Amino acid sequence: MTTVEQARTTAPFGRLAAAEVRWVLRRPRTLVLFALLALVPVAIGVGIALTGGPGGGDRDGPGLVAAVAGNGLVLPIAALSLALALLLPLTVATAAADALAGEAAHSTLRGLLLAPVGRTRLVAMKGVGVLTVAVVAVLAVAVVGVVTGWIVVGGPSGTMITLSGTTLGLGEALGRVALVAGWTIVQLLAVAAVALAVSAFTEHPLVVLAAVLGGLIVFGVLAAIPSLEWLQPLLLTSGWGAGTDALRDPLPLDGLASSTLRALVYLVLGAAVTVWRMRRRDG
Amino acid sequence: MGRRSWVGAGLGAALVGAVGVGLLVAPAGAAAAPPLPPVSPEDLVSSVMTARPGAFAGEVDVDNALGLPAVPGVPQLANGTSTIRVWSGGEGRGRVAIPSGDSERTLVSDGTTRWSYDSRDRTATRAPAGGGRGGPPGDAGAQDPTAAATQAVATLRQSSTVTVDGTAEVAGRAAYQLVLTPLPTERTLLREVRVAVDAETRQPLELTVLAQGSGEPALQVGFSQITYGPQDPALFTFTPPPGTTVRGAPGPDGQHRDGQRPGGDGQRPTRVGDGWDTVLIGRAPQPQQGQQRPDGAPDLSTLGTPVSGPWGAGRVITTAVATVIVTDDGRIAAGAVPQQVLTEALAR
Amino acid sequence: MTAATSAPQPVTAAPGDAVAARVRGLRKTFGATVAIDDVDLDVPAGAVLGMLGPNGSGKTTLIRMLLGLTRPTAGTVELLGHTGWDLAAALPDVGALVEGPGFHPFLTGRDNLLRCAAAEPRLVGDARGPVDAALERVGLADAARRRYRGYSLGMKQRLGLAAALLVPRRLVVLDEPTNGLDPAGTRDVRRVVAELRDAGATVLLSSHLLAEVEAVCSHVAVLQTGTLLVAGELAALLDADAGGLVVSTPDVDDAIAALRAAGAPAHRAEGGVAVPPGPLEAPQIVAALVGAGVAVWEVHRRRAHLEELFARLTEEDA
Repeated sequence: MTTVEQARTTAPFGRLAAAEVRWVLRRPRTLVLFALLALVPVAIGVGIALTGGPGGGDRDGPGLVAAVAGNGLVLPIAALSLALALLLPLTVATAAADALAGEAAHSTLRGLLLAPVGRTRLVAMKGVGVLTVAVVAVLAVAVVGVVTGWIVVGGPSGTMITLSGTTLGLGEALGRVALVAGWTIVQLLAVAAVALAVSAFTEHPLVVLAAVLGGLIVFGVLAAIPSLEWLQPLLLTSGWGAGTDALRDPLPLDGLASSTLRALVYLVLGAAVTVWRMRRRDG
Repeated sequence: MGRRSWVGAGLGAALVGAVGVGLLVAPAGAAAAPPLPPVSPEDLVSSVMTARPGAFAGEVDVDNALGLPAVPGVPQLANGTSTIRVWSGGEGRGRVAIPSGDSERTLVSDGTTRWSYDSRDRTATRAPAGGGRGGPPGDAGAQDPTAAATQAVATLRQSSTVTVDGTAEVAGRAAYQLVLTPLPTERTLLREVRVAVDAETRQPLELTVLAQGSGEPALQVGFSQITYGPQDPALFTFTPPPGTTVRGAPGPDGQHRDGQRPGGDGQRPTRVGDGWDTVLIGRAPQPQQGQQRPDGAPDLSTLGTPVSGPWGAGRVITTAVATVIVTDDGRIAAGAVPQQVLTEALAR
Repeated sequence: MTAATSAPQPVTAAPGDAVAARVRGLRKTFGATVAIDDVDLDVPAGAVLGMLGPNGSGKTTLIRMLLGLTRPTAGTVELLGHTGWDLAAALPDVGALVEGPGFHPFLTGRDNLLRCAAAEPRLVGDARGPVDAALERVGLADAARRRYRGYSLGMKQRLGLAAALLVPRRLVVLDEPTNGLDPAGTRDVRRVVAELRDAGATVLLSSHLLAEVEAVCSHVAVLQTGTLLVAGELAALLDADAGGLVVSTPDVDDAIAALRAAGAPAHRAEGGVAVPPGPLEAPQIVAALVGAGVAVWEVHRRRAHLEELFARLTEEDA
């Protein structure tokens, strides 16, 4: 039964977050992107299975994809690192674009502000939504990757061969997959925080997508210019090769740690700008 | 939540950003020279030569400005910086990991057998551990400071001024700076070789090669981080993983198999001269070997610029610290010397 | 009969009177454009206040500032006793439909409302009951499970109204609520407003449909180019404006001459002579006419309509 409570001036955060998650996971375009992401490991796995094992015609392919052949548990990691180049950032950028700019475009942002959802809580609630998208997207790739790797590619009975030529047992192999998945989520949250900040300034979701994808391309170009090497530590994308480190043995943590630190800096800055802007934005 | 606290939050966020950016950008920072008791060059050199390499783990940064032509599959040779991970168990046991992009080369020695594993084509190459010398195995000797500096000290002490030029901090360790300068009579491209030696363990930590006419090091190989102590013995064993092509080393001492030492194939090179202006003359790799590792052995016929002289004709490859001449009849002359010294040696 | 209707009569309630919303010295500029210029307005508790004004007169900007959606350039807003940074604390008791309905096209009407309900602080427990009740109230029960994408303009407007009525409100702000509605929809809105009034809620309604406002509002405020021209109780404003007589006479010129001689400002009008409110009361005017020998068929008090009032106010100012 419904009762009316006089004391509250905002809805409980758990309820807001749950509603946001429901909303995010029902959005058709998000579901389409999830499906596309799940196809990435399937496509790699089938491709590997068709072209044959190591020493086949796959030496010209991406290095990690070559490492998948006959080594199925590498597939989720290879798929994640491939998807991190474009599809995963696109997915979280879409979610972030819909979160603020899209709500503004549909005039629904006003409804939330009038409810009222506090402006800072609104950002937190949107953060939960985007986090959900990032987690589900990464899990889609990782889980489908493990299953596809297991069934389609196969490999030496539940083990993973590292780039260092050592063999890891199933538990540790899955641990490495989980490590890359978690690391990828953090990197995506950095993208999402910046995308949310852009989203807070516009009511055109496409502006957010263009800004994020354009930013990735610009970062890539900057990273390729030798005289701008000093910029490298500032570029989020320059640490994105570190996911491969999970395939080395013993596990080197330097690259993963520094890229995570870099992502956290982007995350904090993006979140701060988003909150700052949303405190002032007209509804 | 008042406005003021939000201003505070904003400032806090800006601070976090600034600190974070600082952490990301800040270089390791040149530490002040640590105070150490003075030591004579002779004592330092001999302590280095007698020190027994113990167990350690570390990371070696290679900062390469040698100006070598790019060789596929061995990105460490090209100009640029790279990081190599090194583990040593002492007694000839060691592991070296040379990561590059999406692949890795791994060199493992358990004291009796050396393994080399390349993740790109998943081949493992086995060779007996030659010489039983300490330090990591194989061609890693060129990149591991222990082997590299020991070698440099031993070879160059007769023809060089050897001084201890103060102290430095390398990989968080207090170190003596051993400086080898060629005697004025030496005709060499090199200006100075500096070796940082751990004050406690007397293990070389960093090798810096400076060439004539340049203030920046042509080559700097040094630990960015090192931890002494026993290592997991599992690091020094290697079992080829399933699906790996295993083969024996093609050349004697496994020397050729990485394609980094042209001229070392088949017969030993001849030495002409000694000291800093030593010239090595050997023969180019035989074609049948080259076919086997098409991307391992550089195709020398396309490198360098054509030269000719009384000694014949060929191509000269010039780098910051060395010159190489490949003659049309298959001889190779190389040394840390100007081109003229090479042609004289060839003409002999 | 009192005169001087041209002077604005702000319904500034005496201190202590219940006021649902109050703005003082409110001003909003967008660059060089002045959207709202120094507006003082009280919305008395329990009133149904109709805000009138031509397009672009600043009605929506005023409402947005009242609800905290836009920051005033200057001035203060008080909403249900809350003001300044605390303004949002009033919003749980405020239902609003501002600048048209805003919903997600890929969700059904009901799911959209459920999402709104999740954000309503006053709603505790299962939201489905209140959501279905609100849908019923605005006549959308049959279309509740259709996607918003397929709604007609009127249905969208009804859904927006439903969102404003999800929980009992102390103040309901409706910005052009009948936009896009058919006559039946307009009647429904009128009914809903009456229900709200009967339940003791205050309603602030902006419209450019004068008949609409006249039919449902107890108070009006008229805005033009950002300035509040007049505000007050509708009946009082109409009464005040209704001052003046219409004299039916065949001797128009004689009548005008006689009245002007007596000190009343008269002028020719349809059906005879119009006498705007002036120094003379009705009996004196009749006496003056009879004394001058003017034939008088009929003298009646002019009945004002909001439309005239509005037209006069806005034209006068322009």
